[in-house]
Amino acid sequence: MSTRRPGLFEPRAIGQMAPATKILLYTILIVWAAFVLFPIYWLLITSVKTPAAVNQGPFFLPFIDFEPSLHAWKELFVIDYEDTLRAYMNSIIISLSATALSVLVGSMAAYALSRVDYAPNLITILYFVALLAGVGVAVGIYDVDWMLATAVAVALFFLLARAVGRIYEVRLGNGDILFWIISQRILAPIVVVVPIYMMFQSVRLLDTHLAIILTYAVVNLPIVVWLMYDFFNSIPRDLEESAQIDGATMIGTFREIILPLSRAGLAATTLLVMILSWNEYLLALFLSTTKAQTMPILVAAMNAGERGVLWWTMSVTIVVMIIPVVVLAVILQKYITKGLLVGAVKG
Amino acid sequence: MNEWLDRHMGRLFLAPAVTLILIFSIFPLVASLILAFSRLRLRGGGFTMRWVGFRNFEKQLFGSEQFHLLGTFTTVSILGWIVGLAGTGLLIWWMVRYARTRFHWVGFLGRMITFGIAVGLLWLFCATLLSGNPFGTVGTTLFYVFVGCGIQFLIGTALAFACSQKLRGRTTFRVIFFVPMMVTPIGVGYTFRMLADVTKGPFAGVWQWAGLGDFAWATDPWAARIFITVADSWQWIPFVFIMMLAAFESVPRDLVEAGDLDGASPWQSFREITWPHVMPIAATVMLIRAIEAFKIVDLPNIMTSGGPGIATESVSLQAYYAWRSLDLGQASAVAYILLFVTVVICVSFFNLVVLSRVRAQK
Amino acid sequence: MSSDHAAKTISIREMNKYYGNFHALKGLSLEVEAGEFLVLLGPSGCGKSTALRMIAGLESISSGELLIGDQDVTEVLPKYRDIAMVFQSYALYPHKTVAENIGFPLKMAKVPQAEMDEAVRAAAAQVELDGLLDRLPGQLSGGQRQRVALARAIIRRPAVFLMDEPLSNLDAKLRGNMRAELKHMQNELGITTIYVTHDQIEAMTLAHRVAIMKDGELQQLGTPKEVYSNPANLFVAGFMGSPPMNFVEGEISSGQFRAAGMSLPVTGFADNAAVTIGFRPEDCQVVEAGTGQVDASVYTFEMTGDQSLVTFEYEDRHLVVKMPKDFEIASESRAAIAFDPAEANFFDTASGRRLLPAA
Ligand SMILES: Nc1ncnc2c1ncn2[C@@H]1O[C@H](COP(=O)(O)OP(=O)(O)O)[C@@H](O)[C@H]1O
Ligand SMILES: [Mg+2]
Repeated sequence: MSTRRPGLFEPRAIGQMAPATKILLYTILIVWAAFVLFPIYWLLITSVKTPAAVNQGPFFLPFIDFEPSLHAWKELFVIDYEDTLRAYMNSIIISLSATALSVLVGSMAAYALSRVDYAPNLITILYFVALLAGVGVAVGIYDVDWMLATAVAVALFFLLARAVGRIYEVRLGNGDILFWIISQRILAPIVVVVPIYMMFQSVRLLDTHLAIILTYAVVNLPIVVWLMYDFFNSIPRDLEESAQIDGATMIGTFREIILPLSRAGLAATTLLVMILSWNEYLLALFLSTTKAQTMPILVAAMNAGERGVLWWTMSVTIVVMIIPVVVLAVILQKYITKGLLVGAVKG
Repeated sequence: MNEWLDRHMGRLFLAPAVTLILIFSIFPLVASLILAFSRLRLRGGGFTMRWVGFRNFEKQLFGSEQFHLLGTFTTVSILGWIVGLAGTGLLIWWMVRYARTRFHWVGFLGRMITFGIAVGLLWLFCATLLSGNPFGTVGTTLFYVFVGCGIQFLIGTALAFACSQKLRGRTTFRVIFFVPMMVTPIGVGYTFRMLADVTKGPFAGVWQWAGLGDFAWATDPWAARIFITVADSWQWIPFVFIMMLAAFESVPRDLVEAGDLDGASPWQSFREITWPHVMPIAATVMLIRAIEAFKIVDLPNIMTSGGPGIATESVSLQAYYAWRSLDLGQASAVAYILLFVTVVICVSFFNLVVLSRVRAQK
Repeated sequence: MSSDHAAKTISIREMNKYYGNFHALKGLSLEVEAGEFLVLLGPSGCGKSTALRMIAGLESISSGELLIGDQDVTEVLPKYRDIAMVFQSYALYPHKTVAENIGFPLKMAKVPQAEMDEAVRAAAAQVELDGLLDRLPGQLSGGQRQRVALARAIIRRPAVFLMDEPLSNLDAKLRGNMRAELKHMQNELGITTIYVTHDQIEAMTLAHRVAIMKDGELQQLGTPKEVYSNPANLFVAGFMGSPPMNFVEGEISSGQFRAAGMSLPVTGFADNAAVTIGFRPEDCQVVEAGTGQVDASVYTFEMTGDQSLVTFEYEDRHLVVKMPKDFEIASESRAAIAFDPAEANFFDTASGRRLLPAA
């Protein structure tokens, strides 16, 4: 009995790839892994180089072509430990709180949008925006006290909203609200950061955790709503209807049924929002000066102007910033593709 | 009371999100718009604001800042004329075809805006790049968006497809490929500056060997732009990768197997079964990526400070520099121009590509 | 929880449902007695689920009134209606154990833990789920999931049970068993039940009364026996029974029903140019050609085990006759169908309404 040996381009068994394909795929994956990891490796070894080792040209292998030293680590964690730890704590507090707030508020909104029918009146909304613009003009140009202007606007809104709404009936739907929320992500921070800066200045919240937390939470809301909306839509309705009949309130249903069933989606969303707030730079630059400084600001501070960039300490800062994210990603790893799946499939 | 709560819970669920967005984005948007029409002067602690109408926009679009935002227009080359006229013709044909087949005034108005922006950007492209003139921050931003996102999409999708095959160790690759997304963007900027250093960076030997030992990439406009694109891609390919991986893994197994039984080659099976299934997701991923790319600011700021000259400056960065020099009116005007272009391009893409694909599939 | 555990009546008055312009439920009126088992029967898409979900409060009532007991609940939220519902998909919470699933209504009512455990155990015992309390729904068979859903419904002793095709996801044998158990349980608990199904056998076996619906409209309400033997119209007559009733179109003139190759005397009916006669397969026999009411050729002959079905080709339609299990006949042979004209039903072809003889 003779069987023909399969060729290089033919699979060896059912459900397997041809050896040539396999080799090609592995080559691609390994080359890419090298491209991804090399910058990280360079950061790591730079963090254990002395300034001299950095400045005297490229050295690649610790112990072989240069002597590793904890010089930069000491500088950050022994000598200047107050600044470093403060920034680190700030980053942790801010990104955790902002993520929690954003995921909570965002998934509540996403859930409501996927289950309740809304029909806001377009004219009422336009009226509202016009009033808002009026407040802006009055405060900005005519120097009216902002509290007074807001109070007048609120009063006008509630007095006339119904009457104005009756002028012309154009109703928006859930899709419009969803699109509106998601489209907020289009705003470049630079468009809104100046007024936000002024706003926090006027309520004396600049350079506080609260200011940055709130701003980050809002900036990331569209992502949460977008991912979670599709996720909630994929959960069968009878579960909630059953809970509703069995006496659960909307909050009860959300907490007892929806959130536990959305673990994968929540994990993926949380990780993404966490990464984005942990790494954010521009808004933090505007909203913090000293007390509330976050890690990315500290990274930028290693660019010491005339003396050039302090590459060694900067590498340490970047490395210690990566560590918690990697830990979190490893913990949540099994949920990530599963969680994104539902959101992505419905896209 | 309880019953009232039950009935209105729907609104209460939505209210926090809407309120937060109103405070943090609608109000600032309105305020920013007012700033864009004014001139701000700092005067001993306080500031005064003066209404200047469209003067800020005029200065950016037609005045002394035109070279900065849009680019320098001197002469338009023959190639520029040819491409410009041909492209304009195509766009007009597209409009006419739409108006002929299924006219609806909302659709028409929307397409009219898309048309206007498209013609404008087309001529910007023809009058600067194709005519050998330097372009401004709008052109640079579009370069980051279209070239950058294009590269990221191709590589990210290819890697995702490779990782969706039955390979041993693919989980490890997955985790590794995800890492760049975790690095803070300004960290990426500085790291790539280190890597690109021609004398002390890891590739110093390679540069020397190639005879580029004294080449300063930061002084060559195209080298600098490409370098920023490489860093940006390094950071964001993981995003495309992870989303497309989810998409590829969601393709129903039985569909692919049915294709195998029907004798489809791997390429046919990809084109006929896998790709149509992931296409809507791909469009969404591209849209998200493009939205983020329009806002690019950290990398050019860190890596080149927008230089050489303004060669790598994005619109966001221009607004940021204007703010730094306390020219809030100009900063807001530039930011608003960016917002307008981004909204038109993203909404057009969403309506014309994503939605029509989704509709076609249903 | 209702304190008295007494079964309640349900009054549905002129209830309508519109989805946009689509009229899904057309003026449904029903009075359900306390403790009654009422089945809503109809083909799929006829609005049964819609009606049930309106009674549950999951869909708003476009117009009309709904009373449970003496209370008008038209605008009341589901959780205040004192009802329990079993869904076709069972709607078990996949992340909760069987015990947690069953106890969920009590947990929502903030019943103390000890009392709840006791009630869960009792409910589980009632549906024979004793050993499975710590499992997740994913680890149960279809029949067991069904029981969990039932236990969750009975644990609160609601005034009303609503069930939407609860048995349709089970295989045929299990469905028979569960049907019997369900009937027994309802009888024992005496809770007013509205049960939705498209399966007429389920309706016949379970119901005290059946309400037959079509296109959002109530066709007939009556005991299974009534709707079976005195169908109100062609639709009901054709829907009930398996195989369904045979129909032949013809006319009545001067005391005779006439159709192609068929003529029989009828008494008490006025002349009518378009009449449909209906007779049930089990009410007729196969006899020698020329000796029955209709002559036709045999199209197929089927054995089902407990009976034989003979299908005739007559004009452009098929007529079916149910014969005893030892009966045999060759295909293509000529024979006749014999039935007692007094047992036949007559319908006005145009309106579909049943014609009754003048007394
Ligand atoms: N939410 C809805 N929106 C629009 N039409 C619906 C909706 N729910 C049900 N319908 C329509 O109402 C009719 C009755 O549906 P249903 O009550 O589910 O029928 P069934 O008798 O099979 O349970 C169907 O034609 C269905 O398409
Ligand atoms: Mg139904």
